[in-house]
Amino acid sequence: MADLAHTDEHETLGVDNRKLAMWGFLASEFMFFGALISTYLLYKGRAGMPPPYPRDLYDIPFTSISSFVLLMSSLTMVMAHNALTRKDQANVRTWLLATAMLGMVFIGGQVYEFSTFVQEGMTMRTNAAASGFYLLTGFHGTHVLVGIIMLLSLFGISRRQGGLSEAKGLNLELVGLYWHFVDIIWIVIFTVVYLIP
Amino acid sequence: MTAATTIFRRPKTTSGFWGWVTTIDHKKIGIMYGYTAFFFLIMGGLEALLLRLQLAGPEGQILSQAEYNAMFTMHGTTMVFLVVMPMSAAFMNYLLPLMIGARDVAFPRLNALSFWIFLFGGIFLYSTFLFGTTGAPEGGFLAEEASRLGSAPNGGWFGYAPNTEPQFSPGTVLDYWSIGLQIIGLASLMSSVNLITTIFNLRAKGMRLLRMPVFAWMSLVVNFLLMFSIPIIAVALFMITFDRQFGSQFFQTANGGDPILWQHLFWLFGHPEVYILILPAMGIVSEVLPVFSRKPLFGYAAVVFAGAAIGFLGFGVWAHHMFSSGISPVAQAAFGLSTMTIAIPTGIKIFNWLGTMWMGRLQFTTPMLFAIGFVAMFTIGGLSGVTHSIVPSDWQQTDTYYIVAHFHYVLFGGAIFGIFAGLYYWFPKLTGRMYSERLGKWHFWLMFLGFNLTFAPMHWLGLQGMVRRTWQYAADMNLGPWNMAVTIGAFIIAGSILIFMWNWTVSRRRGAEAGIDPWDARTLEWTIPSPPPEYNFAEIPTVTSLDDFWHRKYSEDEEGRAVRREEAGTLVADLEYRGNNPEKPIHLPSPSYFPILIGISIMLIGYGIVYNSFAWGIALLAAGVLGTATSFIGWAQEPAEEPAEEETDGEEH
Amino acid sequence: MDQPTETREVHTAEGHHHPTPRQYVQIALLLGLLTAIEVGLFYAEPFFGDLVVPALLVLAAVKFGLVVGYYMHLKYEKRFLTRLFGGGFVLALMIYAVVLVAFGIMANI
Repeated sequence: MADLAHTDEHETLGVDNRKLAMWGFLASEFMFFGALISTYLLYKGRAGMPPPYPRDLYDIPFTSISSFVLLMSSLTMVMAHNALTRKDQANVRTWLLATAMLGMVFIGGQVYEFSTFVQEGMTMRTNAAASGFYLLTGFHGTHVLVGIIMLLSLFGISRRQGGLSEAKGLNLELVGLYWHFVDIIWIVIFTVVYLIP
Repeated sequence: MTAATTIFRRPKTTSGFWGWVTTIDHKKIGIMYGYTAFFFLIMGGLEALLLRLQLAGPEGQILSQAEYNAMFTMHGTTMVFLVVMPMSAAFMNYLLPLMIGARDVAFPRLNALSFWIFLFGGIFLYSTFLFGTTGAPEGGFLAEEASRLGSAPNGGWFGYAPNTEPQFSPGTVLDYWSIGLQIIGLASLMSSVNLITTIFNLRAKGMRLLRMPVFAWMSLVVNFLLMFSIPIIAVALFMITFDRQFGSQFFQTANGGDPILWQHLFWLFGHPEVYILILPAMGIVSEVLPVFSRKPLFGYAAVVFAGAAIGFLGFGVWAHHMFSSGISPVAQAAFGLSTMTIAIPTGIKIFNWLGTMWMGRLQFTTPMLFAIGFVAMFTIGGLSGVTHSIVPSDWQQTDTYYIVAHFHYVLFGGAIFGIFAGLYYWFPKLTGRMYSERLGKWHFWLMFLGFNLTFAPMHWLGLQGMVRRTWQYAADMNLGPWNMAVTIGAFIIAGSILIFMWNWTVSRRRGAEAGIDPWDARTLEWTIPSPPPEYNFAEIPTVTSLDDFWHRKYSEDEEGRAVRREEAGTLVADLEYRGNNPEKPIHLPSPSYFPILIGISIMLIGYGIVYNSFAWGIALLAAGVLGTATSFIGWAQEPAEEPAEEETDGEEH
Repeated sequence: MDQPTETREVHTAEGHHHPTPRQYVQIALLLGLLTAIEVGLFYAEPFFGDLVVPALLVLAAVKFGLVVGYYMHLKYEKRFLTRLFGGGFVLALMIYAVVLVAFGIMANI
């Protein structure tokens, strides 16, 4: 969304247009995930639903590891950004790829988790709590997936053009913001959905 | 970075059909929003007329039950999402950059994308009349399959669960509703982020936030409301889409689902939505009243902060739509109180508008009449609104025509009157010509009469116990006479709209030349030629005060009265000349095919989701996803601006 | 959000404000450690009882703050962005808390 090309117009606030827009969008995402998390919290403990409930099936050690993987992907993301500020284009690509790989490991973990739950008899149709669980974690996973696509696009552009230009560099920062945001949403989900009894 | 890397050759034409299709000019996009919204106003109006024909007398036979349900649902959905919201978007798109001194919005292509997604979302929703199906619900008594007219969403504009669950509403009409609204919401969300960035970042030099016109301020508040409320309805709509398509259990009571959750989520969005509909009209009226009172707006800062307060409080009152749903007494008391507090900033605004007119030299032009009509009618609607905040009183009124009367006074007497004030006020800027004042006044007085004849009796019908969404009423209920009056009023409104259409169509070709500043106005859009050139401002203005243009034209005498400066005439003539003859060529972003392609692709995704149980539905889905992805790749690769053929200025950052 | 600054600063090249790679790694280690404590608390629930839930929430908040402040650089950006982002967060927190209270289930979070 690189539409910033007006001569003699300046950014009144001193913040780049695209960055301002991205922060605004992320702020609105709180409302989106807030609704999903609240729905899950509302339904998770309701008595009288057909079992199993999501919390009966949680595999905390497994999810802890995939949470750790996603946290570390934030580190690799910020390293990519740091490499770009040093104009170290080769390392930018390495870290971008590493971030995308960690994201894919996380998604793989989620696929494994979902399929295990289904085998244990909990699908989206089982009860309202299960529906809430799948919609919440599913939309989070979709966000991760979109992030991976954006990371790989940056990687591809960088490879083809022998590095990211100044303008594309801001794109990397924006993708980074999005990626870290998806990570903090998972920090909340991991605590509120998985750990709190 | 050459054109060869993009999928298509970059469109060059800026006129004719393809000029409109590929445009990313905020003014053209605003005009397209306006015409689309007006088209849907006619559709929603026809639906309303059918409803009124059915209810004109007892035991009406014009519509079947299924058709009646479809008509009131589509009327509400259309008027909220496809008329007032896009009409406000039209004003914001067209005017915001002009008012704050910018050449376009922050992201022109994204702006075009918002429009096309909105348009194809609207087409998707209305295609229910062609493709939608209804079926026999469990335990229901409606006919198995409705006529085409009845094959439209029928769950009310609020779509309460569990009626929207598949067993109670089989068929596809509610899928068209939920997915259609999802698409339209996506457009609003993108547009809100875009316009917020525009207002914060694209202001001309010296245009501090507290020097912006009130309309720009109200737009800022509205876009914040959109940005924070659309995601809520998105989640709610996803839930019913999943319930209907993939068997999730969000609102299935047998498996733990809770329909009250739908009400919370819907009204968490729905109440900010009410302010999304009214605040732009308040902004328009705040521009019109000072100009035709020949006075500055009374209490500018108070009006601005009251608007912001309404926006903020708008997130804290949603449960007053749910007083009869069994929420706890504490919640009822709390939400009753918070609702009453909304009256404070609203009252501040009304008194400021009155203060603006007080002792002014009023000019009763058509926009002024509509603005005054707005203040009066909105006040009536606001007062009946306060009665709803008293919980026991609300229990009596809920689901009666009293409620219908209330929200039409605020949304029609408010928003629609405000919109017409704006349409007449900015008509000369838009077209460069004047409308017929005589026809305009006919329009106003007929609409004013028709409006009150339609909606005032609804208060009494409601207090007599006529329930909302009722298909027929019995003769011995004694509701006939007032219902007949209401129906007559509705047709008078329709007649006044025809006058407006005639006036608009004829005047935009044959009206008298308007010049750049026909109203002797106060804001920046009147300092550029009419209609504005593509680049808006030949030279980006520098602003030194609130109502800068006014102060350049007027000074004060010893008693503080405004005196037109001698040089004002020359100033305006000079502005017109310089606006048409920029000193150096102005670079503008090039048009693009991708916004409309993404819009079409997203519509295909919508169809794909509705028909995901068929192979061809999956094919549509795949085509839509592929189209969206390809278009985004093309979008990302095309430079925002074509490299100029003549190398004049390359200075951009 | 009040006074526009009439500057034309380009904000992409302000690397000197940012933490060093070394600090980034330290933050990551801290994040990992906090996660480990969280998981530990989960298993120690019989031992700590009612203290677990508040402790978990505090730990999540710290992790949240670390990522937003340092990895997203919010600490080094204009205050306006903090207000925008924080505004969204606080609004969501308040609104959904009220919804859950209205359902009477805040007690068992």
